[in-house]
Amino acid sequence: MATELDNIELRPARRKFLKSAAALATTLIAPGIILYKTGHASNTSSKNPRWGLLIDTNALSESDVDACVNACQREHGWESDPDSRTDAQWIRKVKLTDTESGHQRFLPMMCMHCENPPCVDVCPTGASFKRDDGIVLVNKHTCIGCRYCMMACPYKARSFIHEPLKDQLPVAPRGKGTVESCTLCVHRIDRDGGNAVPACAEAVNQGDRKAIWFGDLHDPQSEISQRLHALGAVKLRADMGLNPGVRYQGI
Amino acid sequence: MLVCLLGILPLGSVTAADETASGFGEVVIPSPVKPADASACVEPVEVMRRDHMKFLTHQRDATVLDGDRETKYSLVGCMDCHNPASTGEEVIRYENPQHFCAECHAYASVKIDCFECHADRGLARSEQSRLTMNAQSRALSAHTFSHKLDQTRGD
Amino acid sequence: MQSSMRYAEIKTSTPNYWGILVVLAVIALIGFAAAHHMDTEGHHITGMTNQVVWGLPHVFAIFLIVAASGALNLASIASVFGKQDYKPLARFSAVLSIALLVGGLAILLLDLGRPDRLIIAMTYYNFKSIFAWNIILYTGFIVIVLAYLWLMMERRMHRWSKPAGLLAFAWRLILTTGTGSIFGFLVAREAYDSALLAPLFIVMSFAFGLAIFILLLMLIFKLDQRELDDSHLQRLRKLLGLFTAAVLYFVIVFHLTKLYGTQNHDFERFILLDGGIYTLMFWFFQVGLGNLLPLAMLYAPGLQRSNPALVIASLLVIVGAFAQLYIIIVGGQAYPLNIFPGYIVESSFFDGVINAYTPSLWEFLLGIGGVTSAVLIALLGIRVLPIMPEGLPAEVK
Repeated sequence: MATELDNIELRPARRKFLKSAAALATTLIAPGIILYKTGHASNTSSKNPRWGLLIDTNALSESDVDACVNACQREHGWESDPDSRTDAQWIRKVKLTDTESGHQRFLPMMCMHCENPPCVDVCPTGASFKRDDGIVLVNKHTCIGCRYCMMACPYKARSFIHEPLKDQLPVAPRGKGTVESCTLCVHRIDRDGGNAVPACAEAVNQGDRKAIWFGDLHDPQSEISQRLHALGAVKLRADMGLNPGVRYQGI
Repeated sequence: MLVCLLGILPLGSVTAADETASGFGEVVIPSPVKPADASACVEPVEVMRRDHMKFLTHQRDATVLDGDRETKYSLVGCMDCHNPASTGEEVIRYENPQHFCAECHAYASVKIDCFECHADRGLARSEQSRLTMNAQSRALSAHTFSHKLDQTRGD
Repeated sequence: MQSSMRYAEIKTSTPNYWGILVVLAVIALIGFAAAHHMDTEGHHITGMTNQVVWGLPHVFAIFLIVAASGALNLASIASVFGKQDYKPLARFSAVLSIALLVGGLAILLLDLGRPDRLIIAMTYYNFKSIFAWNIILYTGFIVIVLAYLWLMMERRMHRWSKPAGLLAFAWRLILTTGTGSIFGFLVAREAYDSALLAPLFIVMSFAFGLAIFILLLMLIFKLDQRELDDSHLQRLRKLLGLFTAAVLYFVIVFHLTKLYGTQNHDFERFILLDGGIYTLMFWFFQVGLGNLLPLAMLYAPGLQRSNPALVIASLLVIVGAFAQLYIIIVGGQAYPLNIFPGYIVESSFFDGVINAYTPSLWEFLLGIGGVTSAVLIALLGIRVLPIMPEGLPAEVK
């Protein structure tokens, strides 16, 4: 009898002890977890480069943008019939007309190489992936051709290959049944790093003139970062919080 | 796999010069054309016959995921050596049974789908002119049997 | 009491049974041949493009998958909620749900750009993708429902049928949530990006699955000349009316919410007013034929005991289902992405325009092939296993 009463009195005390011990443990561990998570969350100051493009639409005429598209086609071996709804387009010329003022301008649009790409989130096999250096690619060896990434892309950057292909170029393997998009000329970047120039940029940067900058967004000393710092730029559909690597000036 | 092994066993007994069947009726043992200027493949012939698919499968992940392009197991390197585009003759495509890969794969009855996407021939001079000067000089020097260049990657 | 319920396979002497099976099999084979043709030629022979990437096959597939989840409802009501009146139908409910799911999955897999890479889809998983989760949910569903079916049929294991039913019920709610979230998680498109799509798909599954169940139940009982008393159909009639009303509710709330945001006005105008075929489908086929007319036929005073009215209402619900899914899947892609607000956009990649889509014969054949495969599996199931009650006579109260 006495022992039972003792136990009954001890139980609330034991419960109190366990509660406060748990609370203490949580307060000790929680900051560690939060710090760990924030430490791993952003890579902005990590040693990895993040490749990006800065496109100055003020400096681009319609024929310049056409040259971008043609350069990409020559580099990677794709073609697009203007009336075709199924031909792939890695980069396209977009004509914008302001609804109020009527002002027109042209710009090239390609994969935005987002920091938080929706296409990577939705790919069931992980074929759509983001490299450590920020380039978003499709691993066509594991792509099953479900086209969910095309549904998810806010910029309509991706294309699906609708027929058997021939005459692929060695630098750009592409085939029926898989999805593809702009690779930021990754084959050039892998060989030349920061000195690489994507084909579209190469086509418009003639002589002293520069309209498309390519460089490391993580390096504050790079030309692209300095220009961004000086003049700023616009991210398309910025409200979606994707932080694209391709940015525009002049719109 | 088993078909591969069965197909390769007779190959091992055939020299490069021997093109006709030996005890297999009318079946022609494949004898793919070896490039004239290279002395040896990236690996010994026996190793390549047995393991070339493993090298390719491993290499493709390294290339796509990590950006390794200058390695000796590059598929582009294979094609540059084993199916270089010559200026005069017509380029041999994979559908042609005389294509380097097609010869053995048709014999071993192993279907491959590499060339649904990948170029089945090396870079031709006419195609090279499509690229810029920088890219062209890079392409010509890249296809050597050297290891990957470490200095372009910041690890 | 229902413990004396006897189940029996459909009799092979049933006229027309084998004829129906042969016809279904032939259509299914034609569908698979169409899929093979799509695979060898590439998708350029279909109506699907870089602008409308999912089309008629996906409408059929999602319909079957959603209906599969709902077809299990009757078994769940019996096992999980303990309503013994529904117990005789539980076995067929389970078999039908598996059959519909297999049919839907077949269409999805055969439409892939690289269906030969199915093994990749089964072994490489990106767990942030709801699609990847769905692959696990769909295959798990088949396994769980098969186990559930066995536990229901094996008398010695009968006491396990309730926990199995609970698991199957929870699993299918998650599965249908996952199916709705395929679209609900797409933030980029104005037609999607809504948490409402998941519960909408759940009530859609209730309605569509039940409609198919009712039609097949009446067909099979008639085919095999088994007694089916109206009292059983009354219960199903009430459920169908309830579920159809629930679908209409969610559709109304979805569009009202979208209409409240000015930024969505153009999209809502497209669906509700000047979208051409989509507007017609929405008002006439989805709301009119799919919701309002069935509700009228199920609740109108003179028709409340009419079996033909029940059949027609079920068929109309299915018609409305296809229209609804077509608008969700195709209409959502037809409306362009809004990348440059305040600008008129033109490009060679069809930016800024309503995207056209014309289904091709191949897609239709593939879709029909999936449907007939599902019905074929269900009808074979009732031949091979004692699934169907020998009779459902009037209950003695």
